[in-house]
Amino acid sequence: MTRKEDRDPVPDTDLMAYVDGTLPPEKTAEVEARLARDAYARDAVAQWRHFDNLIHDAARTADTQPANLRIAALERELARKLQRRRRWAILTGPRLRQVAASAVIFAAGWGAHALYDRGASMMNGAYPGFVSQTLAGHYSYTLAAHERAAFGGDQMADALAWLSEEMQQRIESPKLERLGYRVESARLMVVDEEPVAVFYYRNPEDERVTVSMTPRRATQPDYELRVARVQDERMAYWTSDRLHYTVVTSSTETPVTTLAAAVQE
Amino acid sequence: MCFETRFADGAMSLKSELQSHVASLRRYALVLTRDPVAADDLVQETLVKAIAKADTFQPGTDLRPWLFRILHNTHVSDLRRAKTRADAASDLPEPLARECQQTQLELKQVLGALDQSPEAQRLPIILVALREMSYAEAARTLDVPLGTFMSRLGRGRAALRRIVEGVASGKLSLMHRKEGGE
Repeated sequence: MTRKEDRDPVPDTDLMAYVDGTLPPEKTAEVEARLARDAYARDAVAQWRHFDNLIHDAARTADTQPANLRIAALERELARKLQRRRRWAILTGPRLRQVAASAVIFAAGWGAHALYDRGASMMNGAYPGFVSQTLAGHYSYTLAAHERAAFGGDQMADALAWLSEEMQQRIESPKLERLGYRVESARLMVVDEEPVAVFYYRNPEDERVTVSMTPRRATQPDYELRVARVQDERMAYWTSDRLHYTVVTSSTETPVTTLAAAVQE
Repeated sequence: MCFETRFADGAMSLKSELQSHVASLRRYALVLTRDPVAADDLVQETLVKAIAKADTFQPGTDLRPWLFRILHNTHVSDLRRAKTRADAASDLPEPLARECQQTQLELKQVLGALDQSPEAQRLPIILVALREMSYAEAARTLDVPLGTFMSRLGRGRAALRRIVEGVASGKLSLMHRKEGGE
């Protein structure tokens, strides 16, 4: 006869897995056959299962405890933090690297002339008119006197079709959704008799991006990519495919060149 | 699927996932501390630490073992500070099936036996009994290789059996002696 002390110290992983319900089906029959002929193993399984059930039931009494408001608040805060962490990981993952790489290519394609200007000289004529208008629109959302039409974020297909028709050339969505931004509205404004399509975006951190597109007239110059900082805002502007583009952002997380690359793609 | 939808879905699933994990943490903490107030304190401390460490969490990895590991380490630190878990067993709330006094008695025996077991064996037994995670996840929670975890679980269960049977046979012989003396 085998004494308990002789057998217990050796962990029997098959028996444990059987007790815990994690034994693969192909081994279950084997273990059950063994249990049928081994009273000691049978007894061990019954007792382990019983102890497990007792501990499990005791643990479940936690579910009957009153809700703890402090725990609930901490849980919410942790969810926010982890969500932010998860989002940031997505934005800094392969997708963002791809967009960032295209930003470099985009700037290099223009002879790497992008540069940063500091100061608030834009309002005194240092920047093209379409840039000033976009920045003004970014601060105030819209210049009501100039607004011709406004579309909600859920009407983008209609907005793009209408804007394309009004501006007599194809207007593409800035596609900032892939960087985690949500389009809030699209508007058509008329400034100095020129139509300007403006898109307003916002990300979960409540940071705004304003994108504008306006046709380049034959008498106007092409602008290479320029990057500027005005107070807390960063902006980029350039000309491409007979359109002047401006991007203004309050975001500190997404570089304005990345936004510009996403708009240009 | 656009990022916006992905983020919205992700936020929703993260919230419900976290809610489930916190309920599990409360269960684990209750068995570890045997006191509902101390258990909630332990969970709070765990969450505060998790918030502070949130930037180190690797998205895409399993959140549950990460949280359990923080709770486990916090508990071990608390134990080292307190040096004792004196009289804790008597504070454990009664199990849901409270009609059975025998169950209560057995639970006290098992918890008493757990207290006598080395910590390295006690924690695997509790983690597995919670039925919240796989062996591999539980091993990650305790930061030990799977083989070590299985070995500790097996030895712990065997030791638990011996202790409980020893207690039971001791009581039985005491009863026999009393009966014989009368």
